[in-house]
Amino acid sequence: MRRAMTLFWQIVIGVGALAIWEWGWDLHARVPWLVPDILDPYFVSKPSEIFKQFLRMGCLVTPRGDWTLGTPGAFERCIGRSENNLWIATYFTLKNTLWGFATGVSSGFVLGLLLGRSDRLSEIFYPYITAFNSIPRIALAPIIILAFGIGDASKIVTAWLVVVFLVFFNTFEGARSVDRDHINAARLLGAGEWQVTRTVIVPSTMAWLFASLTPAVSFALIGVIVGEFIGAEHGIGRMIIEAEARGEAAGMMVAVFVLMIVGVILATGVRRLQSYLLRWRPASTLAT
Amino acid sequence: MQNTPPESLADPSSLRCRIEIDKLRKVFLAQGREVVAVDDASFRIDDGEFVALLGPSGCGKSTILNMVATLITPNGGAIRVDDAAVVPGRPIRNVGYVFQKDTLFPWRTVEDNIGYALELAGVPAEERKARVAEAIRQAGLDGFGRFYPASLSGGMRQRVSLMRTLIARPEILLMDEPFGALDTHTKLDMHSVLLSLWERERQTVLFVTHDLGEALTLADRIILMSARPGRVKADFKVDFPRPRDAVKLRETPQYAALFSQVWHSLGEEFAKGSSPT
Repeated sequence: MRRAMTLFWQIVIGVGALAIWEWGWDLHARVPWLVPDILDPYFVSKPSEIFKQFLRMGCLVTPRGDWTLGTPGAFERCIGRSENNLWIATYFTLKNTLWGFATGVSSGFVLGLLLGRSDRLSEIFYPYITAFNSIPRIALAPIIILAFGIGDASKIVTAWLVVVFLVFFNTFEGARSVDRDHINAARLLGAGEWQVTRTVIVPSTMAWLFASLTPAVSFALIGVIVGEFIGAEHGIGRMIIEAEARGEAAGMMVAVFVLMIVGVILATGVRRLQSYLLRWRPASTLAT
Repeated sequence: MQNTPPESLADPSSLRCRIEIDKLRKVFLAQGREVVAVDDASFRIDDGEFVALLGPSGCGKSTILNMVATLITPNGGAIRVDDAAVVPGRPIRNVGYVFQKDTLFPWRTVEDNIGYALELAGVPAEERKARVAEAIRQAGLDGFGRFYPASLSGGMRQRVSLMRTLIARPEILLMDEPFGALDTHTKLDMHSVLLSLWERERQTVLFVTHDLGEALTLADRIILMSARPGRVKADFKVDFPRPRDAVKLRETPQYAALFSQVWHSLGEEFAKGSSPT
Protein backbone atom coordinates (compact mmCIF):
# COMPACT_ATOMS: atom_id res chain seq x y z
CA MET A 1 0.00 0.00 0.00
CA ARG A 2 2.71 2.37 1.06
CA ARG A 3 4.77 1.41 -1.97
CA ALA A 4 1.81 1.96 -4.25
CA MET A 5 1.23 5.43 -2.80
CA THR A 6 4.90 6.28 -3.20
CA LEU A 7 4.80 5.18 -6.81
CA PHE A 8 1.60 7.15 -7.37
CA TRP A 9 3.13 10.39 -6.10
CA GLN A 10 6.31 9.79 -8.05
CA ILE A 11 4.29 9.49 -11.25
CA VAL A 12 2.15 12.54 -10.40
CA ILE A 13 5.23 14.68 -9.77
CA GLY A 14 7.01 13.43 -12.91
CA VAL A 15 4.04 13.86 -15.23
CA GLY A 16 3.18 17.20 -13.63
CA ALA A 17 6.68 18.57 -14.12
CA LEU A 18 6.75 17.42 -17.75
CA ALA A 19 3.32 18.99 -18.37
CA ILE A 20 4.38 22.34 -16.93
CA TRP A 21 7.53 22.18 -19.03
CA GLU A 22 5.55 21.34 -22.19
CA TRP A 23 2.58 23.70 -21.87
CA GLY A 24 3.56 26.15 -19.14
CA TRP A 25 4.87 28.73 -21.57
CA ASP A 26 1.54 28.89 -23.39
CA LEU A 27 0.07 30.40 -20.24
CA HIS A 28 2.76 33.06 -20.14
CA ALA A 29 0.98 35.34 -22.61
CA ARG A 30 -2.18 35.37 -20.51
CA VAL A 31 -0.88 35.30 -16.93
CA PRO A 32 2.77 36.41 -17.09
CA TRP A 33 3.23 36.57 -13.30
CA LEU A 34 2.39 32.85 -12.95
CA VAL A 35 5.02 31.48 -15.32
CA PRO A 36 8.70 32.27 -14.73
CA ASP A 37 10.77 33.39 -17.70
CA ILE A 38 13.04 30.38 -17.43
CA LEU A 39 10.29 28.25 -19.00
CA ASP A 40 10.86 30.07 -22.30
CA PRO A 41 11.43 27.26 -24.85
CA TYR A 42 14.29 29.32 -26.21
CA PHE A 43 16.23 28.37 -23.06
CA VAL A 44 14.84 25.01 -22.02
CA SER A 45 13.01 23.78 -25.13
CA LYS A 46 10.04 21.44 -24.61
CA PRO A 47 9.82 17.71 -23.87
CA SER A 48 8.20 17.02 -27.27
CA GLU A 49 10.90 18.99 -29.11
CA ILE A 50 13.65 17.32 -27.09
CA PHE A 51 12.27 13.90 -27.95
CA LYS A 52 12.14 14.71 -31.67
CA GLN A 53 15.64 16.10 -31.49
CA PHE A 54 16.78 12.96 -29.69
CA LEU A 55 15.45 10.79 -32.51
CA ARG A 56 17.26 12.93 -35.08
CA MET A 57 20.55 13.13 -33.19
CA GLY A 58 20.45 9.45 -32.43
CA CYS A 59 19.92 8.70 -36.16
CA LEU A 60 16.65 6.97 -35.37
CA VAL A 61 14.83 9.17 -37.91
CA THR A 62 16.21 10.83 -41.02
CA PRO A 63 16.29 14.63 -41.32
CA ARG A 64 13.08 14.31 -43.37
CA GLY A 65 11.40 12.56 -40.49
CA ASP A 66 11.31 8.91 -41.66
CA TRP A 67 12.29 6.07 -39.34
CA THR A 68 15.73 4.77 -40.23
CA LEU A 69 15.04 1.27 -38.92
CA GLY A 70 12.62 0.54 -41.75
CA THR A 71 15.01 1.54 -44.54
CA PRO A 72 18.10 -0.66 -45.01
CA GLY A 73 21.33 1.32 -44.71
CA ALA A 74 19.65 4.53 -43.57
CA PHE A 75 20.98 4.29 -40.02
CA GLU A 76 24.56 3.69 -41.25
CA ARG A 77 24.30 6.62 -43.70
CA CYS A 78 23.12 8.91 -40.92
CA ILE A 79 25.89 7.76 -38.58
CA GLY A 80 28.45 8.34 -41.31
CA ARG A 81 27.20 11.85 -42.07
CA SER A 82 28.02 13.47 -38.76
CA GLU A 83 31.37 13.57 -37.01
CA ASN A 84 29.95 13.81 -33.53
CA ASN A 85 26.54 12.17 -33.46
CA LEU A 86 24.95 10.95 -30.25
CA TRP A 87 26.37 7.44 -30.45
CA ILE A 88 29.93 8.45 -31.16
CA ALA A 89 29.79 11.21 -28.56
CA THR A 90 28.50 8.83 -25.91
CA TYR A 91 31.15 6.29 -26.80
CA PHE A 92 34.00 8.80 -26.42
CA THR A 93 32.67 10.30 -23.21
CA LEU A 94 32.08 6.90 -21.67
CA LYS A 95 35.45 5.56 -22.72
CA ASN A 96 37.35 8.52 -21.33
CA THR A 97 35.34 8.48 -18.13
CA LEU A 98 36.16 4.84 -17.51
CA TRP A 99 39.84 5.36 -18.25
CA GLY A 100 40.00 8.37 -15.94
CA PHE A 101 38.17 6.40 -13.28
CA ALA A 102 40.42 3.34 -13.57
CA THR A 103 43.69 5.27 -13.55
CA GLY A 104 42.50 7.63 -10.81
CA VAL A 105 41.30 4.83 -8.54
CA SER A 106 44.39 2.68 -8.95
CA SER A 107 46.95 5.45 -8.53
CA GLY A 108 44.99 7.06 -5.69
CA PHE A 109 44.86 3.73 -3.90
CA VAL A 110 48.57 3.06 -4.23
CA LEU A 111 49.49 6.60 -3.11
CA GLY A 112 47.05 6.49 -0.20
CA LEU A 113 48.37 3.15 0.95
CA LEU A 114 51.98 4.25 0.69
CA LEU A 115 51.53 7.50 2.59
CA GLY A 116 48.98 6.08 5.00
CA ARG A 117 51.35 3.38 6.19
CA SER A 118 54.45 5.55 6.36
CA ASP A 119 54.52 8.32 8.95
CA ARG A 120 57.74 9.64 7.45
CA LEU A 121 56.33 10.03 3.93
CA SER A 122 53.04 11.49 5.08
CA GLU A 123 54.91 14.04 7.22
CA ILE A 124 57.04 15.13 4.26
CA PHE A 125 54.21 15.35 1.75
CA TYR A 126 51.56 16.77 4.06
CA PRO A 127 51.88 20.47 3.09
CA TYR A 128 51.97 19.70 -0.63
CA ILE A 129 48.93 17.50 -0.49
CA THR A 130 46.97 20.07 1.51
CA ALA A 131 47.96 22.80 -0.95
CA PHE A 132 47.09 20.75 -4.03
CA ASN A 133 43.86 19.61 -2.52
CA SER A 134 42.69 23.19 -2.00
CA ILE A 135 42.97 23.91 -5.74
CA PRO A 136 39.60 23.38 -7.43
CA ARG A 137 40.74 20.63 -9.83
CA ILE A 138 38.52 21.91 -12.62
CA ALA A 139 40.55 25.15 -12.68
CA LEU A 140 43.43 23.10 -14.07
CA ALA A 141 41.41 21.80 -17.03
CA PRO A 142 42.47 24.56 -19.49
CA ILE A 143 46.13 23.94 -18.63
CA ILE A 144 45.66 20.23 -19.21
CA ILE A 145 44.03 20.85 -22.60
CA LEU A 146 46.95 23.10 -23.49
CA ALA A 147 49.47 20.47 -22.44
CA PHE A 148 47.76 17.33 -23.74
CA GLY A 149 45.87 18.63 -26.76
CA ILE A 150 42.21 18.30 -27.63
CA GLY A 151 42.28 14.51 -27.99
CA ASP A 152 41.34 11.79 -25.50
CA ALA A 153 44.48 12.16 -23.36
CA SER A 154 43.50 15.54 -21.95
CA LYS A 155 40.03 14.27 -20.95
CA ILE A 156 41.50 11.22 -19.23
CA VAL A 157 44.02 13.38 -17.38
CA THR A 158 41.31 15.79 -16.23
CA ALA A 159 39.14 12.94 -14.99
CA TRP A 160 42.16 11.30 -13.36
CA LEU A 161 43.01 14.52 -11.53
CA VAL A 162 39.50 14.84 -10.14
CA VAL A 163 39.33 11.20 -9.06
CA VAL A 164 42.83 10.65 -7.72
CA PHE A 165 42.56 13.03 -4.76
CA LEU A 166 39.20 11.71 -3.69
CA VAL A 167 40.44 8.13 -3.72
CA PHE A 168 43.77 9.10 -2.21
CA PHE A 169 42.20 10.72 0.87
CA ASN A 170 39.81 7.84 1.41
CA THR A 171 42.56 5.25 1.11
CA PHE A 172 44.87 7.32 3.31
CA GLU A 173 42.27 7.41 6.09
CA GLY A 174 41.62 3.71 5.63
CA ALA A 175 45.29 2.80 5.78
CA ARG A 176 45.71 4.80 8.99
CA SER A 177 42.74 3.19 10.67
CA VAL A 178 43.64 -0.45 10.13
CA ASP A 179 42.81 -2.26 13.37
CA ARG A 180 46.03 -2.82 15.36
CA ASP A 181 44.58 -6.02 16.75
CA HIS A 182 44.13 -7.42 13.25
CA ILE A 183 47.80 -6.69 12.55
CA ASN A 184 48.83 -8.26 15.85
CA ALA A 185 46.66 -11.28 15.21
CA ALA A 186 48.26 -11.78 11.81
CA ARG A 187 51.77 -11.41 13.25
CA LEU A 188 51.05 -13.90 16.01
CA LEU A 189 49.71 -16.33 13.43
CA GLY A 190 53.05 -16.14 11.68
CA ALA A 191 52.71 -13.35 9.12
CA GLY A 192 55.83 -11.47 8.05
CA GLU A 193 55.83 -7.77 7.13
CA TRP A 194 54.85 -8.31 3.52
CA GLN A 195 52.21 -10.87 4.44
CA VAL A 196 50.69 -8.42 6.94
CA THR A 197 50.49 -5.81 4.18
CA ARG A 198 49.00 -8.20 1.66
CA THR A 199 46.52 -10.03 3.90
CA VAL A 200 45.51 -7.37 6.44
CA ILE A 201 46.36 -3.83 5.42
CA VAL A 202 45.29 -4.05 1.77
CA PRO A 203 41.96 -5.81 2.37
CA SER A 204 40.90 -3.62 5.27
CA THR A 205 41.88 -0.48 3.35
CA MET A 206 39.90 -1.80 0.37
CA ALA A 207 36.70 -1.24 2.33
CA TRP A 208 37.46 2.48 2.42
CA LEU A 209 38.45 2.50 -1.22
CA PHE A 210 35.17 0.89 -2.26
CA ALA A 211 33.21 3.51 -0.34
CA SER A 212 34.78 6.17 -2.57
CA LEU A 213 34.04 4.42 -5.88
CA THR A 214 30.51 5.77 -6.42
CA PRO A 215 31.46 9.43 -6.00
CA ALA A 216 34.65 8.73 -7.98
CA VAL A 217 32.78 7.61 -11.09
CA SER A 218 30.53 10.69 -10.96
CA PHE A 219 33.58 12.90 -10.53
CA ALA A 220 35.28 11.24 -13.50
CA LEU A 221 32.28 12.04 -15.68
CA ILE A 222 32.36 15.69 -14.55
CA GLY A 223 36.08 15.87 -15.35
CA VAL A 224 35.57 14.51 -18.86
CA ILE A 225 32.64 16.84 -19.64
CA VAL A 226 34.54 19.92 -18.48
CA GLY A 227 37.50 18.86 -20.58
CA GLU A 228 35.19 18.49 -23.58
CA PHE A 229 33.70 21.94 -22.96
CA ILE A 230 37.11 23.52 -23.22
CA GLY A 231 38.31 21.75 -26.31
CA ALA A 232 37.44 18.44 -27.93
CA GLU A 233 36.59 16.81 -31.23
CA HIS A 234 34.14 14.28 -29.82
CA GLY A 235 32.05 13.74 -26.75
CA ILE A 236 28.80 14.81 -25.17
CA GLY A 237 30.38 17.92 -23.67
CA ARG A 238 31.44 18.96 -27.15
CA MET A 239 27.90 18.32 -28.33
CA ILE A 240 26.46 20.66 -25.71
CA ILE A 241 28.88 23.42 -26.73
CA GLU A 242 27.99 22.96 -30.42
CA ALA A 243 24.25 23.11 -29.72
CA GLU A 244 24.76 26.19 -27.59
CA ALA A 245 26.64 27.90 -30.41
CA ARG A 246 23.70 27.23 -32.72
CA GLY A 247 21.21 28.36 -30.08
CA GLU A 248 19.58 24.93 -30.07
CA ALA A 249 18.07 24.40 -26.64
CA ALA A 250 16.65 21.01 -27.64
CA GLY A 251 20.08 19.77 -28.70
CA MET A 252 21.61 20.76 -25.39
CA MET A 253 18.77 19.11 -23.52
CA VAL A 254 19.24 15.87 -25.43
CA ALA A 255 22.91 15.84 -24.49
CA VAL A 256 22.08 16.54 -20.83
CA PHE A 257 19.48 13.79 -20.89
CA VAL A 258 21.95 11.29 -22.31
CA LEU A 259 24.49 12.33 -19.66
CA MET A 260 21.90 11.64 -17.02
CA ILE A 261 21.38 8.13 -18.36
CA VAL A 262 25.12 7.52 -18.58
CA GLY A 263 25.54 8.78 -15.02
CA VAL A 264 22.81 6.54 -13.67
CA ILE A 265 24.20 3.47 -15.45
CA LEU A 266 27.74 4.10 -14.22
CA ALA A 267 26.65 4.76 -10.64
CA THR A 268 24.42 1.68 -10.57
CA GLY A 269 27.17 -0.51 -11.99
CA VAL A 270 29.70 0.71 -9.45
CA ARG A 271 27.23 0.30 -6.60
CA ARG A 272 26.58 -3.28 -7.66
CA LEU A 273 30.30 -3.96 -7.77
CA GLN A 274 30.74 -2.29 -4.42
CA SER A 275 28.09 -4.30 -2.62
CA TYR A 276 29.51 -7.49 -4.13
CA LEU A 277 33.04 -6.67 -2.99
CA LEU A 278 31.84 -5.62 0.46
CA ARG A 279 29.53 -8.60 0.91
CA TRP A 280 31.36 -9.54 4.10
CA ARG A 281 30.13 -6.39 5.80
CA PRO A 282 27.17 -6.70 8.17
CA ALA A 283 24.01 -5.68 6.32
CA SER A 284 23.26 -2.79 8.68
CA THR A 285 26.46 -0.92 7.85
CA LEU A 286 26.28 -1.51 4.11
CA ALA A 287 25.55 1.79 2.45
CA THR A 288 23.17 1.23 -0.43
CA MET B 1 56.18 -20.72 44.38
CA GLN B 2 54.80 -23.45 46.58
CA ASN B 3 54.73 -26.27 44.12
CA THR B 4 57.52 -25.94 41.64
CA PRO B 5 59.98 -28.69 42.46
CA PRO B 6 63.43 -28.44 40.89
CA GLU B 7 63.64 -29.91 37.45
CA SER B 8 64.57 -33.55 37.61
CA LEU B 9 67.55 -34.39 35.47
CA ALA B 10 66.64 -38.05 35.47
CA ASP B 11 63.34 -37.48 33.73
CA PRO B 12 63.43 -34.23 31.79
CA SER B 13 60.43 -35.04 29.64
CA SER B 14 57.94 -35.14 32.49
CA LEU B 15 58.72 -31.67 33.83
CA ARG B 16 60.21 -29.75 30.97
CA CYS B 17 59.82 -26.04 31.66
CA ARG B 18 58.09 -24.28 28.74
CA ILE B 19 57.52 -20.76 30.05
CA GLU B 20 59.65 -19.10 32.68
CA ILE B 21 58.96 -15.62 33.99
CA ASP B 22 61.49 -14.02 36.25
CA LYS B 23 61.05 -10.77 38.22
CA LEU B 24 58.97 -9.27 35.42
CA ARG B 25 58.17 -5.57 35.69
CA LYS B 26 56.07 -3.24 33.57
CA VAL B 27 55.43 0.46 34.10
CA PHE B 28 52.87 2.39 32.07
CA LEU B 29 52.61 6.12 31.65
CA ALA B 30 49.07 7.31 32.26
CA GLN B 31 48.38 11.04 32.14
CA GLY B 32 51.97 11.85 32.97
CA ARG B 33 51.97 9.55 35.97
CA GLU B 34 53.87 6.30 36.21
CA VAL B 35 51.66 3.35 36.98
CA VAL B 36 53.31 0.09 37.96
CA ALA B 37 51.20 -2.55 36.28
CA VAL B 38 53.34 -5.58 37.02
CA ASP B 39 56.02 -5.78 39.67
CA ASP B 40 58.40 -8.59 40.47
CA ALA B 41 56.21 -11.30 38.98
CA SER B 42 57.85 -14.72 38.73
CA PHE B 43 56.48 -18.16 37.88
CA ARG B 44 57.13 -21.08 35.61
CA ILE B 45 54.91 -23.35 33.58
CA ASP B 46 55.85 -26.92 32.75
CA ASP B 47 55.09 -28.87 29.65
CA GLY B 48 51.45 -29.79 29.20
CA GLU B 49 50.27 -27.72 32.15
CA PHE B 50 47.06 -25.74 31.93
CA VAL B 51 47.64 -22.67 34.07
CA ALA B 52 45.09 -19.99 34.83
CA LEU B 53 46.34 -16.53 35.69
CA LEU B 54 43.62 -15.17 37.94
CA GLY B 55 43.18 -11.74 39.45
CA PRO B 56 41.00 -8.67 39.71
CA SER B 57 40.65 -6.31 36.76
CA GLY B 58 43.67 -4.11 36.20
CA CYS B 59 46.04 -6.37 38.12
CA GLY B 60 48.33 -6.73 35.13
CA LYS B 61 47.53 -10.33 34.23
CA SER B 62 46.84 -9.51 30.59
CA THR B 63 49.97 -7.36 30.57
CA ILE B 64 52.03 -10.39 31.61
CA LEU B 65 50.40 -12.51 28.90
CA ASN B 66 51.04 -9.86 26.26
CA MET B 67 54.66 -9.62 27.31
CA VAL B 68 55.01 -13.39 26.84
CA ALA B 69 53.30 -12.98 23.46
CA THR B 70 55.90 -10.32 22.51
CA LEU B 71 53.19 -7.68 22.07
CA ILE B 72 54.40 -5.55 25.01
CA THR B 73 57.99 -4.76 25.98
CA PRO B 74 58.79 -5.33 29.67
CA ASN B 75 60.68 -2.73 31.73
CA GLY B 76 62.57 -5.32 33.67
CA GLY B 77 62.97 -9.00 34.33
CA ALA B 78 63.13 -11.84 31.86
CA ILE B 79 60.83 -14.17 29.95
CA ARG B 80 62.06 -17.44 28.55
CA VAL B 81 60.03 -19.71 26.33
CA ASP B 82 61.62 -23.09 25.78
CA ASP B 83 64.83 -21.75 27.34
CA ALA B 84 65.13 -18.96 24.77
CA ALA B 85 64.78 -15.32 25.79
CA VAL B 86 61.69 -13.65 24.31
CA VAL B 87 62.38 -10.71 22.02
CA PRO B 88 59.57 -8.11 21.93
CA GLY B 89 58.02 -7.76 18.50
CA ARG B 90 59.27 -11.11 17.34
CA PRO B 91 56.51 -13.69 17.74
CA ILE B 92 57.63 -17.19 18.60
CA ARG B 93 56.71 -20.09 16.37
CA ASN B 94 54.97 -22.75 18.33
CA VAL B 95 53.10 -20.21 20.43
CA GLY B 96 49.45 -19.55 19.68
CA TYR B 97 47.48 -16.60 20.99
CA VAL B 98 43.73 -16.20 21.45
CA PHE B 99 42.46 -12.66 21.93
CA GLN B 100 39.68 -11.47 24.18
CA LYS B 101 38.49 -9.11 21.48
CA ASP B 102 37.09 -10.44 18.26
CA THR B 103 40.03 -10.22 15.87
CA LEU B 104 38.71 -12.42 13.08
CA PHE B 105 39.32 -10.93 9.67
CA PRO B 106 35.83 -9.76 8.65
CA TRP B 107 36.64 -9.95 4.94
CA ARG B 108 37.47 -13.65 5.14
CA THR B 109 34.96 -16.45 5.45
CA VAL B 110 35.05 -18.84 8.41
CA GLU B 111 37.06 -21.31 6.30
CA ASP B 112 39.54 -18.70 5.17
CA ASN B 113 39.96 -17.34 8.69
CA ILE B 114 40.69 -20.78 10.09
CA GLY B 115 43.03 -21.63 7.23
CA TYR B 116 44.91 -18.33 7.49
CA ALA B 117 47.98 -19.60 9.35
CA LEU B 118 48.32 -22.53 6.95
CA GLU B 119 48.06 -20.16 4.02
CA LEU B 120 50.90 -18.06 5.47
CA ALA B 121 53.01 -21.15 5.97
CA GLY B 122 52.45 -22.17 2.35
CA VAL B 123 50.64 -25.41 3.11
CA PRO B 124 49.33 -26.85 -0.18
CA ALA B 125 45.66 -26.16 -0.90
CA GLU B 126 44.63 -29.82 -0.73
CA GLU B 127 46.04 -30.39 2.74
CA ARG B 128 44.81 -27.01 3.91
CA LYS B 129 41.28 -27.81 2.86
CA ALA B 130 41.32 -31.11 4.68
CA ARG B 131 42.71 -29.61 7.87
CA VAL B 132 40.24 -26.71 7.80
CA ALA B 133 37.35 -29.11 7.30
CA GLU B 134 38.57 -31.16 10.26
CA ALA B 135 38.88 -28.03 12.43
CA ILE B 136 35.38 -26.90 11.46
CA ARG B 137 34.04 -30.29 12.48
CA GLN B 138 35.89 -30.30 15.80
CA ALA B 139 34.58 -26.87 16.71
CA GLY B 140 31.00 -27.81 15.81
CA LEU B 141 30.85 -25.24 13.03
CA ASP B 142 29.60 -27.58 10.31
CA GLY B 143 27.73 -25.75 7.58
CA PHE B 144 29.15 -22.36 8.52
CA GLY B 145 32.39 -22.59 6.53
CA ARG B 146 31.33 -20.10 3.91
CA PHE B 147 29.78 -17.60 6.30
CA TYR B 148 31.42 -14.27 7.04
CA PRO B 149 32.14 -13.50 10.72
CA ALA B 150 29.60 -10.66 10.74
CA SER B 151 26.76 -13.16 10.41
CA LEU B 152 27.89 -15.35 13.33
CA SER B 153 27.05 -15.10 17.03
CA GLY B 154 29.70 -14.12 19.58
CA GLY B 155 30.16 -17.71 20.71
CA MET B 156 30.61 -18.99 17.18
CA ARG B 157 33.08 -16.25 16.37
CA GLN B 158 35.14 -17.24 19.39
CA ARG B 159 35.10 -20.86 18.19
CA VAL B 160 36.46 -19.70 14.87
CA SER B 161 39.13 -17.65 16.66
CA LEU B 162 40.11 -20.69 18.69
CA MET B 163 40.41 -22.90 15.60
CA ARG B 164 42.28 -20.20 13.68
CA THR B 165 44.95 -20.40 16.39
CA LEU B 166 44.84 -24.15 16.99
CA ILE B 167 45.09 -25.19 13.34
CA ALA B 168 48.79 -24.35 13.26
CA ARG B 169 49.16 -26.88 16.14
CA PRO B 170 50.98 -24.61 18.57
CA GLU B 171 52.49 -26.42 21.56
CA ILE B 172 52.03 -23.39 23.77
CA LEU B 173 48.75 -21.53 23.95
CA LEU B 174 48.29 -18.03 25.39
CA MET B 175 44.69 -17.04 26.00
CA ASP B 176 43.60 -13.58 27.10
CA GLU B 177 40.13 -13.86 28.65
CA PRO B 178 38.92 -15.47 25.44
CA PHE B 179 35.39 -16.03 26.77
CA GLY B 180 35.14 -12.81 28.74
CA ALA B 181 32.58 -11.23 26.44
CA LEU B 182 30.26 -14.25 26.27
CA ASP B 183 27.10 -14.91 28.26
CA THR B 184 27.19 -17.61 30.96
CA HIS B 185 25.57 -20.32 28.90
CA THR B 186 27.79 -19.81 25.86
CA LYS B 187 30.78 -19.62 28.15
CA LEU B 188 30.07 -23.07 29.64
CA ASP B 189 29.64 -24.36 26.13
CA MET B 190 33.01 -22.97 25.14
CA HIS B 191 34.61 -24.56 28.21
CA SER B 192 33.46 -27.96 27.00
CA VAL B 193 34.76 -27.25 23.50
CA LEU B 194 38.13 -26.06 24.81
CA LEU B 195 38.48 -28.98 27.24
CA SER B 196 37.76 -31.57 24.57
CA LEU B 197 40.19 -29.94 22.15
CA TRP B 198 42.85 -29.65 24.82
CA GLU B 199 42.46 -33.29 25.86
CA ARG B 200 43.69 -34.36 22.40
CA GLU B 201 46.82 -32.25 22.20
CA ARG B 202 47.58 -31.32 25.82
CA GLN B 203 49.17 -28.03 24.91
CA THR B 204 50.89 -25.92 27.53
CA VAL B 205 48.35 -23.21 28.30
CA LEU B 206 48.52 -19.87 30.04
CA PHE B 207 44.94 -18.68 30.41
CA VAL B 208 44.15 -15.21 31.76
CA THR B 209 40.80 -14.76 33.46
CA HIS B 210 39.04 -12.95 36.28
CA ASP B 211 36.41 -15.68 36.54
CA LEU B 212 37.24 -18.12 39.32
CA GLY B 213 34.73 -20.71 38.13
CA GLU B 214 36.33 -20.69 34.70
CA ALA B 215 39.81 -21.07 36.18
CA LEU B 216 38.72 -24.04 38.35
CA THR B 217 36.92 -25.72 35.45
CA LEU B 218 39.81 -25.56 33.04
CA ALA B 219 43.14 -25.34 34.82
CA ASP B 220 45.60 -27.64 36.57
CA ARG B 221 46.99 -24.71 38.48
CA ILE B 222 45.76 -21.25 39.39
CA ILE B 223 48.25 -18.45 39.81
CA LEU B 224 46.56 -15.74 41.81
CA MET B 225 47.68 -12.17 41.20
CA SER B 226 47.46 -9.37 43.73
CA ALA B 227 45.77 -6.05 42.94
CA ARG B 228 47.94 -3.40 41.29
CA PRO B 229 50.88 -3.48 41.24
CA GLY B 230 50.44 -7.05 40.03
CA ARG B 231 52.50 -9.64 41.83
CA VAL B 232 52.05 -13.36 42.23
CA LYS B 233 50.15 -13.80 45.46
CA ALA B 234 49.45 -17.51 45.63
CA ASP B 235 49.66 -20.67 43.58
CA PHE B 236 46.88 -23.24 43.88
CA LYS B 237 46.88 -26.78 42.56
CA VAL B 238 43.61 -27.82 40.93
CA ASP B 239 43.69 -31.61 40.93
CA PHE B 240 40.20 -32.52 39.75
CA PRO B 241 40.36 -35.65 37.63
CA ARG B 242 40.36 -35.37 33.86
CA PRO B 243 38.64 -35.53 31.48
CA ARG B 244 36.36 -33.03 33.16
CA ASP B 245 32.76 -32.22 32.52
CA ALA B 246 32.43 -28.44 32.56
CA VAL B 247 28.93 -28.57 34.03
CA LYS B 248 29.00 -31.58 36.38
CA LEU B 249 32.31 -30.54 37.89
CA ARG B 250 30.64 -27.52 39.41
CA GLU B 251 28.31 -29.74 41.46
CA THR B 252 31.08 -31.67 43.26
CA PRO B 253 32.05 -30.90 46.89
CA GLN B 254 35.75 -30.70 45.96
CA TYR B 255 34.92 -27.90 43.56
CA ALA B 256 32.97 -26.05 46.23
CA ALA B 257 35.80 -26.45 48.76
CA LEU B 258 38.52 -25.17 46.45
CA PHE B 259 36.23 -22.42 45.20
CA SER B 260 35.76 -21.00 48.69
CA GLN B 261 39.46 -21.34 49.50
CA VAL B 262 40.57 -19.37 46.46
CA TRP B 263 37.60 -17.05 46.74
CA HIS B 264 38.71 -15.72 50.12
CA SER B 265 42.17 -15.06 48.84
CA LEU B 266 40.76 -13.43 45.70
CA GLY B 267 38.18 -11.45 47.69
CA GLU B 268 40.92 -9.61 49.55
CA GLU B 269 42.39 -8.49 46.25
CA PHE B 270 39.05 -7.40 44.83
CA ALA B 271 38.51 -5.29 47.95
CA LYS B 272 41.93 -3.68 47.44
CA GLY B 273 41.34 -3.21 43.74
CA SER B 274 38.09 -1.34 44.25
CA SER B 275 39.49 1.08 46.84
CA PRO B 276 40.85 4.34 45.46
CA THR B 277 44.54 4.17 44.66
